Amino acid sequence: MRIYVTGYGVISSIGENVEETLLALRSEKTGIKQGKKTYSEHFKVGEIGWTNTELVQRFDLTQEASRTAILGMIAAKEAFKGHALNSDIRTGLISGTSVGGMDVSEIAYKDFLNGETDDLSIYKNHPSGTTSEQIAKELEIDAYVNTISTACSSAVNAIMLGARMLLSGQLDRVVVGGTDGLSQFTISGFRSLMIFDEEWCRPFDETRKGINLGEGAGFLVLETEETIKRSGKQPLAILSGWGNASDAYHQTASSPEGFGATLAMKSALKVAGLDPSDIDYINAHGTATPNNDLSESHGIKTVFGSTIPPFSSTKSYTGHTLAASGGIEAVFGILALNKGILLPNLNFKQAIEETGLVPVKNYSEGNTIKHILSNSFGFGGNNSTIILSAI
Amino acid sequence: MYFIQHIESITHQDSFQKDNIWNDLKPLTGENELISPDYKNYIPVAALRRLSTILRMGITASKACQEKVANEFDSISVGTALGCLTDTEKFLVTINTVSGDILSPTAFIQSTHNTISGQISLDLKNHAYNMTHTQNALSFEVALKDGLLCIDEGKNSVLVGAADEAIPFLERLRGSLIETEHPFTSGATFLVLSGEKGNSIACIQACEVYFTNENKATQVEQFLAANNCSFQDLDLILEAGSDFKSQAKKHYSFLKYSGFYQSASAFAVHMANDWLIKNGDDKTILIVNNLESNKLGLTLIHRNDVEA
Amino acid sequence: MSDLKENLKAQIIEQLNLEDLTPADIQDDAPLFGDDGLGLDSIDALEFIVLLDSNYGIKIADPNEGKEIFQSVNTLAAYISKNQ
Repeated sequence: MRIYVTGYGVISSIGENVEETLLALRSEKTGIKQGKKTYSEHFKVGEIGWTNTELVQRFDLTQEASRTAILGMIAAKEAFKGHALNSDIRTGLISGTSVGGMDVSEIAYKDFLNGETDDLSIYKNHPSGTTSEQIAKELEIDAYVNTISTACSSAVNAIMLGARMLLSGQLDRVVVGGTDGLSQFTISGFRSLMIFDEEWCRPFDETRKGINLGEGAGFLVLETEETIKRSGKQPLAILSGWGNASDAYHQTASSPEGFGATLAMKSALKVAGLDPSDIDYINAHGTATPNNDLSESHGIKTVFGSTIPPFSSTKSYTGHTLAASGGIEAVFGILALNKGILLPNLNFKQAIEETGLVPVKNYSEGNTIKHILSNSFGFGGNNSTIILSAI
Repeated sequence: MYFIQHIESITHQDSFQKDNIWNDLKPLTGENELISPDYKNYIPVAALRRLSTILRMGITASKACQEKVANEFDSISVGTALGCLTDTEKFLVTINTVSGDILSPTAFIQSTHNTISGQISLDLKNHAYNMTHTQNALSFEVALKDGLLCIDEGKNSVLVGAADEAIPFLERLRGSLIETEHPFTSGATFLVLSGEKGNSIACIQACEVYFTNENKATQVEQFLAANNCSFQDLDLILEAGSDFKSQAKKHYSFLKYSGFYQSASAFAVHMANDWLIKNGDDKTILIVNNLESNKLGLTLIHRNDVEA
Repeated sequence: MSDLKENLKAQIIEQLNLEDLTPADIQDDAPLFGDDGLGLDSIDALEFIVLLDSNYGIKIADPNEGKEIFQSVNTLAAYISKNQ
């Protein structure tokens, strides 16, 4: 049974919806700038310019919530627009997030530490699970709600679980994706790992130094073949494969040979029933850390051998949006399938000496693209891959 | 059917590596501390030095499970409601008290929810499917449902677990955000499920989650009916609260034994499994997770049929 | 120098939570990283950077620089003496 994508929505530093996002991709315009918040001003980040309150007003949301929940509501609402709630179509929501409502709870906690009165009601927004419940409430979805928290692979894992629940008949339709708002916690956390690049990040480049962080959300609506007959929705793409595997190498570092990455890509190809040669474009995880890009390159070489399809990392557009990245990049993937786009790996100049792999350098449309493979890897060696296919 | 091959809990009860946890089960008072095994027997010292309570509990319970089953886990699915609170709070303190650019990274690295399942895979050198779910009071049930789905998909040695840890800060939220009469506690329960019966005594027949504000009694009745049984067939109800006490032949509020943590319904599965081992005539147990008023988790545990 | 080394050992034990060790267990020239030594890893390398900053006011901006410096208590002590 096929799993169809029938809706998509996205918000990140390059655009507040799918249309704006496509324009930014086309014009090769990065969303990464010098940060504007007190905690981001020393770094280059893919920040969304509006405050939480402004976002709630601009997007006509019904709830005050954390940034993670608000960004999730915006992208999920866009994805679900035009989909009717119907008691015959059991609809669930699965969202990925790494920090949940930290952007608001960290402010209250700071007051507490300083001996000031902290507003206890703020902490209700903290749990990651609550962010998904708030997004589901915004869409009035209540058949099933779940949150995946596997760091940077969360959204892809949410997409994968959604597909599996559809196949098993537990749901008829599911909104899946991921969301993460920037917070001081996250920025300080990655700073403590000393993996920021003070310049614009350069995935797969020999001179790459590390990441630029970003924020955003990306969501898809998935339906079964059966559901589409009832919902009457036009499919945008097919979700044809998925896989998750554990690298089991180190808490933060990826194995040098990309073992977990290889397993994830191979199992996604197996689910899709495709050969590596069927893949027309790879949207790599490509965080621009020395370790990830080398490890992922080796993984790609292992899976694809000597004929590696065009590949790129779009982290140099959006920054690394953590748990949201797989959702945002799935939206990019659908755009690529439908318009034959090869997305450029901005800021790339020089191939990694050890691998010699050269990513896509320029934006182009009208290519024949039938199958796209998209990687997302998280802390703790959580490696995930999905494959999206043209209708 | 999803057969319970082995189950381990580290809680404020004497529940780890016991023949039957009911032998020593007592209602908790606020005085009971977490009963920790000697973690050095399970985790290399080099790794142990960094690990907070929730990680120690999770890895140790998982490892004890792996030692008891023949096959390597082909799926690992963990639920946690609030995740690694100790390290989260520690890093919040760091970022608010340390001036300058250089911050200790260890607490941050170990603050993410999937550190539990990630460390389990690292420790066991397990490359299988590895998932972390978090859905407030239904965190265990959504992880369990993933594990059951893995068995439906053909996996056969499926680790499912839940872990949460208490920190003193939670006490500040009592009465406002968290309404409970029970002490805040830490706990981890991990179980191995298989589609094959093996030496198991009991199986999980079904697990369902509800996110609507409909009448809970109706939801329970419909769940039971969908699984071809009714209240009369239930030998025991294990419930977070006590709404269904009057309909039960026997009834325990499991939070009295686990204390309050939002994934405590995993411990109720351990209580159910060991109840069926101890009480040979009883067959069917329902776990009602009504810890949060706007959600419901239902898990039906059944004694394995004796084959003719 | 020997005072510096003894202090360093105590600080290493504290910063890295090496609860089971005493300063006497750490040899001046024994490798700190890898399986032949104390078995420390890349996270510990970052903790060493924190240790140098908070105890000695020495800042290392690039974790790669640490590889040479953190080889043993001897190399650490030499680096501190030179840069303090």
